[in-house]
Amino acid sequence: MKKYLLLMLIAIVSFFIVSCDEATMTTTAVTTSESTSGTTTVSTLAESDIYQLLIEAEELSGMTRYDGLIIREDGDLELPTEYNGVTITYSSRNEAIISDSGIVTLPDTCWLESRSQDAEEVFENLNDNWPVVVDVLMEYMGQTRSAKLMFVIAPAAGFTCDKYLGD
Amino acid sequence: MIKKVCLSLFLTLVVIVGFSMTNMIQASSNVIYNDEDYERLHAVINHVENVLHYGHLYNPETNLLPDAINTLTGEPAKWEFPNRAKVPYSDLANQQNFLRTLVALSTVTGSDKYLNEAKSIIGEFMLNYQNINGLMYWGGHRAINLDTLEVQSTEADNGPHELKNMLPYYDLMLEVNEEATLKFIRQLWTAHFDWNTADLNRHGSYSTAFDSNVFGQEMIDDIIVMDEFGLPIIPDDSPGKLPFVNAATDLAYAAFTLSAHTGDPAPKAWAEYLMRQYNLASNPNTGMTVYQFKSTLVTKSPEECAIPTYTNSGCGDRVARQFRDFGPIARESNVQWKNTQAVYVDNILMLLEAADKYGIDYFVDWAKQYIEGYLDYTYIRIDGKNMIIPMFNDGTVVYGYITPEAGYYGPSNMRIDYVEMPTTYLLPILRTILMIEEDEDKVKLWTYFREIVDTFGLGDVGPLGGSAPNLNLDTSIDDPFALMTMVELYNATQVDQYLEVARTIGNNIVNEKFHRGFFVASDIMLYSRLDQPETLALLTLDAVIRGIDVNEMPYYLADSGYIHGYLLSDDGVTEDRSYTHRYIYTKTIYDWE
Repeated sequence: MKKYLLLMLIAIVSFFIVSCDEATMTTTAVTTSESTSGTTTVSTLAESDIYQLLIEAEELSGMTRYDGLIIREDGDLELPTEYNGVTITYSSRNEAIISDSGIVTLPDTCWLESRSQDAEEVFENLNDNWPVVVDVLMEYMGQTRSAKLMFVIAPAAGFTCDKYLGD
Repeated sequence: MIKKVCLSLFLTLVVIVGFSMTNMIQASSNVIYNDEDYERLHAVINHVENVLHYGHLYNPETNLLPDAINTLTGEPAKWEFPNRAKVPYSDLANQQNFLRTLVALSTVTGSDKYLNEAKSIIGEFMLNYQNINGLMYWGGHRAINLDTLEVQSTEADNGPHELKNMLPYYDLMLEVNEEATLKFIRQLWTAHFDWNTADLNRHGSYSTAFDSNVFGQEMIDDIIVMDEFGLPIIPDDSPGKLPFVNAATDLAYAAFTLSAHTGDPAPKAWAEYLMRQYNLASNPNTGMTVYQFKSTLVTKSPEECAIPTYTNSGCGDRVARQFRDFGPIARESNVQWKNTQAVYVDNILMLLEAADKYGIDYFVDWAKQYIEGYLDYTYIRIDGKNMIIPMFNDGTVVYGYITPEAGYYGPSNMRIDYVEMPTTYLLPILRTILMIEEDEDKVKLWTYFREIVDTFGLGDVGPLGGSAPNLNLDTSIDDPFALMTMVELYNATQVDQYLEVARTIGNNIVNEKFHRGFFVASDIMLYSRLDQPETLALLTLDAVIRGIDVNEMPYYLADSGYIHGYLLSDDGVTEDRSYTHRYIYTKTIYDWE
């Protein structure tokens, strides 16, 4: 009797395990079917993956490596233009100092000539370095992500600083 | 006191258990109301019951509650004057979110108990503490002394009336005492607004006579006109009455409420006029807007103003003085790194509320212009954080600038750095998106929203519309603004993930901020502030789970309440002039002896 009961118990447990498993498989199959027949789920997943790729491009491509640094030399910043298929383009808000292709030309003037509030006293070298914002656009299969980079550029040797804007 | 605490907790527990039993029957949405939902609601009820219990315990002669409660003793927070007088205070302007919480709690529980509490509190206040001219004794410089039940000034003997983004719960006020509410709103304009010049004084006098013909003035031309380049000319002729947007927001909101209630179009027209000055003063190229549309007239002597640390506004525009190196763009109105909460959060929330509730559709366009322009120019991610690039509203970058001399904005040799973007920005961005009609007009803001949400650690809200999110379901965020954002996204999309994340955030809020029977900023903070938005956010979540329309719930608009005035410094010796958020809400349980 005990054996029968044990067998019945095993049978019942097995039935539920198999049933649950089948239920899971059925659900998966439906999902798969929807995935292949419809476009919504497929495009959503792809969109989500691309979004993560764009985030990765911003964080890992090296575009942010100048954060917190002062750039003191002319030349090419060698900003990354591609990362795992992501196209990266730049748009400088001060092209005379940083071009859209990342070429730095040290300015020959200071950023701001600083004076006291009565405009009498000049504070030498207080605000020489230029902050330059560069807008970034990352693009992959028509999907985009924007970012901004801040560069701080020192003026060229021998620069002048005689352009006080206060009146 | 310990016995009382225990008794109170026991009573609260009884109420909660009883309430839970009844609510198991009341829950009526497709979402299953689970144990954690109960626990969050219990925490809110516990907090509210404790606030009511201890708040009323201090002085049973009044229904008024203190602004904040000491979570170790149950006593009210006290303002200590330079003469060492310690005054427990009640400032109803700083309790608007608690009133909204009470009403919300009645809505989700179906019990009138909390609604009646709200009515009795605001009712007693309006009956006894309205000046004969109509102004209420509340705001930045006036409160009620809970020992004497007399009006208390924190600015010498005659502190002015001041509201800055306090956005009172007018619906409740009108329901409780319509006459007092309408008189207050009318006098708010009479006391603060100059009808001839559009000068707006954030300080209103309790001596200004009530004007029965308020809003009957002839409409004046726009104060802001454009120069030959199409740029706004900011007048510098304000005699110390600077039109700060945080004061204007309150005026406009009040006037819209008045028109909606009475049917008189004049208050609405003046409110639109006032808000239009800020729009005209905005930079037309960048879209970024302004904190004020005037600078002050120079009335002080050259000798006084020659001292950089003398920052009285009678020496003219304070940014023009301290940031003179930048030239004409350096004006207080154009600053985009200070007071931005008032400009881009509170003001935009009011504009959207006015658009939604009072049908001023073009306010949605303005909200879009302001917030989109601001994000286009200033939003940057630094070290995985949402940040703001400091700049003027024409796009002139100020990042890295070192101030040559001291001034209103700080000491000499101060370096202007990035400003962290708080989570409060989520709500104006989302609400703007939700109110824009055409999908193509939403794309840019949604893209920013998506990036900002993700950078806050909430995960990906997915493409436009938010119907396919991939959220961080285990987020550690414990922030009421993030919670409200997720609730409003769920309400808009009915996508379960938003509700799931909202529940997680709600649980985090309870775990991290509910201590000693009260909601506090963190476990070590001494005072529980009645104006905190956490409880209202949690109740909005509860309502959505129950299938209650969020439009039936009190709406979050601001939590900017404060008191400003003279006090005794923490050193116990020197006189200081400070704010409650620096003097009261910085105290920890370790500061208490």
